[in-house]
Amino acid sequence: MGTPVKSAVHSSLILVDYDHCSYCGACVAVCPPDCIILHDATLLIDPEACTLCRRCIPACPTGALTLGEVA
Amino acid sequence: MKTEYDVVVIGAGPAGSIAARMCAQAGLRVLLAEKRQEIGSPVRCAEAVGEETLAEFIPLDAKWIAAEVDHFSLTSSQRDTVHFPSLETTLVLERKIFDRELAHAAARAGADVVVKARAAGFIKNGTGLEGVTLIVQGVPHEVRCQIVIGADGTEAQSTRWAGLKSVPQLKDYYSAAQYLLTNVNIDQTVCQYHVGWSQAPAGYLWVFPKGNKTANVGLVIAVDPKQTRSAMDFLNAFVAQRFPASSILSQVVGGIPISNVLPEMVADGYLAIGDAAHQSDPMTAGGITNGMRGGLFAAQVAVEALQQSDTSRKFLKKYEKLWDDKFGADYRRLYRLRQAVFKIPEEKLNSMIAQMARLDAKDLTLTQTFKVFLKEYPRLIVDVLPLLLGK
Repeated sequence: MGTPVKSAVHSSLILVDYDHCSYCGACVAVCPPDCIILHDATLLIDPEACTLCRRCIPACPTGALTLGEVA
Repeated sequence: MKTEYDVVVIGAGPAGSIAARMCAQAGLRVLLAEKRQEIGSPVRCAEAVGEETLAEFIPLDAKWIAAEVDHFSLTSSQRDTVHFPSLETTLVLERKIFDRELAHAAARAGADVVVKARAAGFIKNGTGLEGVTLIVQGVPHEVRCQIVIGADGTEAQSTRWAGLKSVPQLKDYYSAAQYLLTNVNIDQTVCQYHVGWSQAPAGYLWVFPKGNKTANVGLVIAVDPKQTRSAMDFLNAFVAQRFPASSILSQVVGGIPISNVLPEMVADGYLAIGDAAHQSDPMTAGGITNGMRGGLFAAQVAVEALQQSDTSRKFLKKYEKLWDDKFGADYRRLYRLRQAVFKIPEEKLNSMIAQMARLDAKDLTLTQTFKVFLKEYPRLIVDVLPLLLGK
């Protein structure tokens, strides 16, 4: 799933599977640092602000979020 | 759209539209801003609502009523079903049309309504709130106002800008998924609930008729980091089992806070309503009329605040008082009741429902129900009795 992405901050990051994401915002509400950006049919996670708390992963109704390793 | 208003309402769901309408009716200059391109879409709701309660807000109109329901039923994972005596007619709405009608009513009352208008932040002077930056069709607009009403839903940003504690604990958050199914052969006069933790862990499923062989079939599950299956996985399993011949017309998903309302719903110049303020019922997560009531209370206090030229957090606390007087005790009870119910082991739950299913409808009183529950699960007295006694 997805190509590994380089991150200056963490050795892993939250990946969004866009085949499953419905842009509902369920993840946004439970994100303490408010690092998930949702605009219409766009969902982005700011890898620098993300603390990898992983609360968004089980909150997602479609299972679109996973923790991925950075290459 | 102008550059200055008395009140800006962020979000044109039922709560926001009611708030905008009430403020406009009181003679205030109101802007109702919706981030999406179409009000009422996508629908994120099971769409059931009590008829009498709803009629307090808007005259009933057949064009947004999909089905009229006579009573509710509860089915266990072993497929025993209890039919509950009817308390009130329940309507299953067509939210796409309903939400648009409510926004239309706000516009008729004098509010300016704008879509594709995303709030990007507050304009502040020190701690004072002076307005909202809106991105309207891609163009930033600074809109000055004296009061902002945040009705921006579960994913609300306005609560964060206002400095409110809005991030729920995961155990107090439902992950939800729903299909609109067709070719379902159900009694269109009954709203079905289904319980069984193996089908929906710490949650429940519903089958709500929408007319013409269609139904909203969905579920909520309490978020659990140890759970590896998503809400959609559980829904697919249920649909495959119960409605194998159905087809899917649409799919909606979302998150719903069931934490009880925010500890603080106001800040200087700001009031949060609806899902932004976590106003959904902390047991069922039903939120349409409760959010609308929140909108009504917030508008009432906003109007008063502007009349008295006091938009301070202290003054706006009146809104929290109005809410608490109406819902506070019930919500605290429902919050604890949910936790008690979800502790009942599934086999006990199944056995309770099987026994209740054998009772005559006329014997399905609260006392009888409670007797069945106590026989099966004596611990319930410890968990629930204090709630019934109002402690």
